Amino acid sequence: MSDGEYVLEMTGISKSFPGVRALNDVTLRVRPGRVHALMGENGAGKSTLMKCLFGIYHQESGEVALDGKKVKFHSAKDALESGVSMIHQELLNVPHRSVRENIWLGREPVIKVGPLRLLNHRKMHADTAALMKALDMDINPAERMGGLSISKQQACEIAKAVSYNASVVVMDEPTSSLTETETAHLFRIIRDLTSKGVAVIYISHRMSEIFDIADEVSIMRDGQMVGTYPIAEMDEDKLIKLMVGRDNTNRFPPIDAQIGEVRLEVRALTSADPRSFKDVSFELRRGEILGIGGLVGAQRTELVESVFGLRKISSGEVRVDGKKVEIRSPRDAIAKGIALITEDRRGSGIFPLLSITTNTAMASLSEYLNRLGLLRHRKIEDEARKYNESLRTKTPSMATLIQNLSGGNQQKVLVSRWLMTLPDILIMDEPTRGIDVGAKYEIYTIMAELVQSGKSIIMVSSEMPELLGMSHRIMVLCDGRHTGTLDKAEASQESIMRLATQFE
Amino acid sequence: MGSKQATSSFEQKKGLSAFVSKNTNLVTFVTLAVVLGLVTGGRSFAWASVRNLMIAESVRAFAALGVGMIIITWGIDLSIGYVVCLVASVAASFAQTPDYTAALYPGVNFPLWLPFLAGILTGGLFGLINGCLVAYGKMHPFIATLGTMSIARGFQLIYTRAAVVGSLKDSYKVIAQGSVGPIPNLAIYVAMACFVVWIVLRHTRLGSNFYAIGGNAMAARVSGINVRRVQISVFTIAGLLYGIAGCLLSGRLGLANALTANGMELDAIAAVTVGGVSQTGGVGTMSGMIIGVLTLGIINYGMTYLGVDSYYQLLVKGFIIIAAVYFDMKKYAKRA
Repeated sequence: MSDGEYVLEMTGISKSFPGVRALNDVTLRVRPGRVHALMGENGAGKSTLMKCLFGIYHQESGEVALDGKKVKFHSAKDALESGVSMIHQELLNVPHRSVRENIWLGREPVIKVGPLRLLNHRKMHADTAALMKALDMDINPAERMGGLSISKQQACEIAKAVSYNASVVVMDEPTSSLTETETAHLFRIIRDLTSKGVAVIYISHRMSEIFDIADEVSIMRDGQMVGTYPIAEMDEDKLIKLMVGRDNTNRFPPIDAQIGEVRLEVRALTSADPRSFKDVSFELRRGEILGIGGLVGAQRTELVESVFGLRKISSGEVRVDGKKVEIRSPRDAIAKGIALITEDRRGSGIFPLLSITTNTAMASLSEYLNRLGLLRHRKIEDEARKYNESLRTKTPSMATLIQNLSGGNQQKVLVSRWLMTLPDILIMDEPTRGIDVGAKYEIYTIMAELVQSGKSIIMVSSEMPELLGMSHRIMVLCDGRHTGTLDKAEASQESIMRLATQFE
Repeated sequence: MGSKQATSSFEQKKGLSAFVSKNTNLVTFVTLAVVLGLVTGGRSFAWASVRNLMIAESVRAFAALGVGMIIITWGIDLSIGYVVCLVASVAASFAQTPDYTAALYPGVNFPLWLPFLAGILTGGLFGLINGCLVAYGKMHPFIATLGTMSIARGFQLIYTRAAVVGSLKDSYKVIAQGSVGPIPNLAIYVAMACFVVWIVLRHTRLGSNFYAIGGNAMAARVSGINVRRVQISVFTIAGLLYGIAGCLLSGRLGLANALTANGMELDAIAAVTVGGVSQTGGVGTMSGMIIGVLTLGIINYGMTYLGVDSYYQLLVKGFIIIAAVYFDMKKYAKRA
């Protein structure tokens, strides 16, 4: 085992969350001086595995060995000091401080003056400059971090990793916000690192990059390691098959809805944020479930939140029942019969310290006022109870605080909230995220009942089986572009994945 | 670990211990009142004592109701003391006896409604400005109201030329100082304000929106609530309450000067915190706010009665506020 062939060995790693087996006996071995790609669908367990490596999660079984020696990191700092470093998708730096201060953060060189320890700015500057020179990076150590381009900030993260004499560098979707030339530069830096014997674990969904930069690829699926292959033995089709290969039976209720006229029409919608979606058009019919698929960062949430008036658009139009509408705020959207159940149940869904009744009624209080403008509490409670009962929310009472319910029941309360606004169109963003399997089926059943009663649903989902099992049509986004829409008949995990990875 | 807690939170709690844990602030208040009653040999229960307590705490109650609602929306208001001071001075300046030569408007006999109108509008205007700074200026309410606090103080000194606004008309003073039978007018006004605040918090959409914004502002926005308008509303309503407080205070004292109501913001914030209004937003009731005011009042009264040096009273008050916040945090951290 300690023959020095591998710099990092993670063997037999298992990790569970309540109701979910996130990692099941996963083994990953990484050789020095190689780029090791780690691939898999959303939720396959890639980030969970990396979090176990860095001690953010603690695995139930399995061990990590570095250079043949068993290690256990308790924090990212721990890992860094042992030479394992991670470059996150979203940059974690201090934007208002200089490059050099960011690189030496937490271990600044000091000069001792009697009992005082003063910062040695000169040494910090010189060391940073030397580091940048060695890595062939053109970055001024005195520059403010936040003033640099994203790619240069990322380069600084890499420099920081090198400054710790890292032997393993993990990169999580490092090119997601880079231009082509910036990506080329990043790849030069990566090759430079590997030529010095550093191992790079490269997490990405972008096929072309993987074939460009990786030496080996490991593929994960449903919390398990499918296998590790030399990149020369791989092609795109094989990779996709390995990533999605899984059976898909009887997890979804039958949907027997009459598809009717067009209810919602979105034409050439473009986000006000230039990094987000561009020129997206689609339509939604009565009784239809339109799935929206894509990888993390495909801008699906941004798209539906813009339709709902939570985010600004720069151009394009939205039509409801053939009439052009201006939706500037959620209020406008609700008035037009549109509802949105957001993906972040805790962050933008529940009011944790309020009761089930209040949580259910919050979006439709104006419909329950008496002649004096006061709330009709009894009517509100009756209605809230009616919706929650019809969705089979399990709660000891309507006065229970929502934070005491399980995720699945919280989600049912949120669906009740939106049904109480009497919407025609429900947008559900990741409707079953963080919900256990049994409750998932119940949510699916509710969705089927809703479309059978003539409502229309847009479902954003990162789960392939869910998209395939529930949608009449599936629209796929990649990098903010609409790369295709598949009918139920022609949709498969492979065809969705192909559209979802159509990077320009 | 979590299973035992989870099941216990699903059980409907019954009995005395449940009542105590649900009404901590009321139980604290009653306990203190009984202890004080025993210590004073029942004299603290005499009507005269109760009456004094009501009069002493009435103005603070208005401020507490205002800032209590603001804190429910996850805001804070530091401008209370000097806004009330400015309001008291403005109101008093229109209520001075016409033959008083040092009056701000000597020789003018204003109608009795004018000081109230001017005072309440001043308070409401400051509330509106605070609300706009928070809602549209996207400023942290701590900083926004720190600024308006200084502005209110400046206006007060400029307007009064740093002099005492005194010699108020009897017809004005009696509005605050009078009684209906044994009950002081001030207590009646407070009761009326409590009723209105209770209606707002419990029975209007606006009140529900306060809790929603304080509990989860993002979810409130997604639910179609106009968060900015609600923020402006809560600060403006609070400002109107400070306006009433300032008018009544000048009437009760018979004057206004630069020291009037100084530090009232801290007393009011302390009172509502003791009364169970959570600093993390989304939690609090009208009755809790009033119980908080009375609790701090009874502590002051009791310590004065027992002859505790007023400097030590400050220490005790400080400890009580810290303890209240500590237990409040524990209460909600446990369930999250």
